[in-house]
Amino acid sequence: MDLQPIHPAPKSFLRRYIFSTDHKVIAKQFLWSGLLFLLFGGFLSMLIRWQWAFPGERVPVVGQALFAKSDGIITPASYNAVFTMHGLIMIFFAITPILIGALGNFTIPLMIGARDMAFPRLNMASFWTFVVSMTFIVLSFFVQLGSAAAGWTTYPPLSTKIGTPGLGQTFVVVAIFLTGAATIMGAVNYVTTVIRFRAPGMTYMRMPLTVWGLWLTSILNVLFVPVLGAAALLLFLDRVFGTQFFISGAAAVRGGGDPILFQHLFWIFGHPEVYILILPAWGVVADFVSFFSRKPAYWYKGSVIAMTAITVLSAIVYGHHMFTTGMNPMLGKAFMILTLIISAPAELLFLNWLHTIWKGSVRLTATMLFTLGVIFVFALGGLTGIYLATISTDLYLHDTMFVVGHFHLTMAAASFLASIASIHFWFPKMFGRKLSETLGKAHFWTSLVFITLVFVGQLAVGYAGQPRRMWDPNQYTFVQHLAPLNRWTSYFGFALGLSQLIFVYNFFRNVFGPANAEPNPWGVGTLEWTISSPPPPHNFDVIPTVVRGPHEFANPDVQVLLGRDWVAQNEVLPVDPPNAAAAPARGVTQS
Amino acid sequence: MTAAVREPSDLQASNVRLAAHQAGTAFLGMVIFMGSWAMLFAGLFFAYGIVRAGSHPWPPIDLPSLPLAMPAVATAALALSSLAMQTALTRARRSLSGVGGLVFAALVLGAVFLAVQISVWLQLWSVGLQPSTGTFASVFYGLTVFHAVHVAVGLFALAFLGIQGARNRYHAAAHIPLRLWTLYWHMVGVVWLLMYVLIYLV
Repeated sequence: MDLQPIHPAPKSFLRRYIFSTDHKVIAKQFLWSGLLFLLFGGFLSMLIRWQWAFPGERVPVVGQALFAKSDGIITPASYNAVFTMHGLIMIFFAITPILIGALGNFTIPLMIGARDMAFPRLNMASFWTFVVSMTFIVLSFFVQLGSAAAGWTTYPPLSTKIGTPGLGQTFVVVAIFLTGAATIMGAVNYVTTVIRFRAPGMTYMRMPLTVWGLWLTSILNVLFVPVLGAAALLLFLDRVFGTQFFISGAAAVRGGGDPILFQHLFWIFGHPEVYILILPAWGVVADFVSFFSRKPAYWYKGSVIAMTAITVLSAIVYGHHMFTTGMNPMLGKAFMILTLIISAPAELLFLNWLHTIWKGSVRLTATMLFTLGVIFVFALGGLTGIYLATISTDLYLHDTMFVVGHFHLTMAAASFLASIASIHFWFPKMFGRKLSETLGKAHFWTSLVFITLVFVGQLAVGYAGQPRRMWDPNQYTFVQHLAPLNRWTSYFGFALGLSQLIFVYNFFRNVFGPANAEPNPWGVGTLEWTISSPPPPHNFDVIPTVVRGPHEFANPDVQVLLGRDWVAQNEVLPVDPPNAAAAPARGVTQS
Repeated sequence: MTAAVREPSDLQASNVRLAAHQAGTAFLGMVIFMGSWAMLFAGLFFAYGIVRAGSHPWPPIDLPSLPLAMPAVATAALALSSLAMQTALTRARRSLSGVGGLVFAALVLGAVFLAVQISVWLQLWSVGLQPSTGTFASVFYGLTVFHAVHVAVGLFALAFLGIQGARNRYHAAAHIPLRLWTLYWHMVGVVWLLMYVLIYLV
């Protein structure tokens, strides 16, 4: 009796690589799209840094080509589009496809022992909806008045026809709605797959923490991305059909609607979104610290409880983004306290990670280094978050560069480093080849050093009062003395940008070519490492029966019986009294 | 899974279990998807609440007021349509006849709903209630038209299901599409009921 029949692998090129329903192929499609947009978004950030270092000066090398009409200078209008699209692209078109689209698609079925997602065709539809969305993003740059320019948060009235009359902003609103639909399709798939397709014996408390992180993320996606959809829909109606949901003041009839309404809708989605982007990162970090310390994850159940608690709390704290909108102080205080409570489960996660590493046989592979990097930058970002969650300090820090530094350390740098850690870790399973460890380590150290310098630089100028999003920060006398700090931060930013070329080289050097990686190069016992690299289209010849958790390292019995410090989740030990009677057939094992 | 002896009865039993598992998975996925979509409508209702709380009087005194009788007819049509779909599903589950006819009845009732909606829009539009006349019209058109798009999508599905039902494709062992679209249709109905109460009556 098999609940997941093996379908014959598709023969034609089109069904196999383009319109594929195989979760592994779709994962690669998301990975390529995400990496491409990551480069593009990163390039936009270089332009922003140039502007902050040398406001109004000609951009070297690419300036004449990109800003021909203004003789190579980034005009204020272009600058607005550049920083807006940097944010939107990085969040919705780089980190989301890499961490959720690629990582989620690739790891969930393999790690829970399934042949594919619950709804393979829905999975394909998710990617192709995403493609349409990406097309709108690209097109938005080529219409009159350029792309969206109202900030990544797309607040009205800036984002209404009055603030941004161009077609580009409308295209981007449509793109956000579509990418939201694609995300929901993916999330419905992930949630259902984990509930229905866990291999026999794969109880919830035996799932790798990676799967836990992705599953909780998907639940948040299912619940809160549609609220962004509602906001985008109403904004679209305002822009195209002349409704007045967000228009107020002189531009409106009879007092009009309420721009603050958009902020409510946006942050009801937006705060869960922060955790949507970080929960997968926490999941992989929790697994990697165990895998590369050769120790069981410390208090696995505690990590699960903490991540679940944060998932629940993340839904009821959104008001802390709106302390300065004239919110009732009682309400603000409630949001502040709920927000600060999140630091308790977050601390628990941290302590579990540190306790896992403590006295372990730590192996500083590239994956482990990037994992430690996530812990470091997230600690910095988390600590600075306390000042923003507290109303009295937030009133001063609101809309300064401090906020920019804070969320780049948490949601950007942490998810970025976790993405790279995951790519290093699963690359052999995905492409059958290993990335270079030496290049990976070089990429890690340059990235970590410059990420820290850039974003701590932003924290510093923000603490000194520099507002975010300024075309020319030096127009304010009180910010002028920060010009050297801004300039240095930009130099570090350029160095950070250049150091990404190491990864690009490493990736392209190894992605093509014959599969020569071992099935299990890391000595890890989760299910995906019990099959070949890359796996066959149906993943598992026989659906494995799971007999233990994902972090069974340094078990003395296993060391005596098998002569290694790890054991696969489905591996039945030759002598194992509790299982000996109930093991008619041995699960798939490998050397 | 253990490689058990494959006797014909075993195979049949395993096929039944496989079909049951697939049906359960599809239904769960649909429930999650509908839950997600409900959040979208919740966002729209939330927007309505905020906009309305900040506008006085509601509805504005100088704008044409919304009719009550015709939308009540539309509400009744959609409720009966939901009932017809549920009956069709129940009959399909018991392998009874008449599934196709009931789905077509649901289709006709859904079309009646849509026709009434369109006539209400046209009438109000002609007497001056247009989106640009402020938040009242924005809420009215924004929410009801977005809902009507879902009804229209449902009608296409019902047409397909009706044809399949008339060919006796749905019976106790195979009725997943009917079950999923019935859930969708109920969801569209419940959202409309909320809209009718909150936009027309309250």
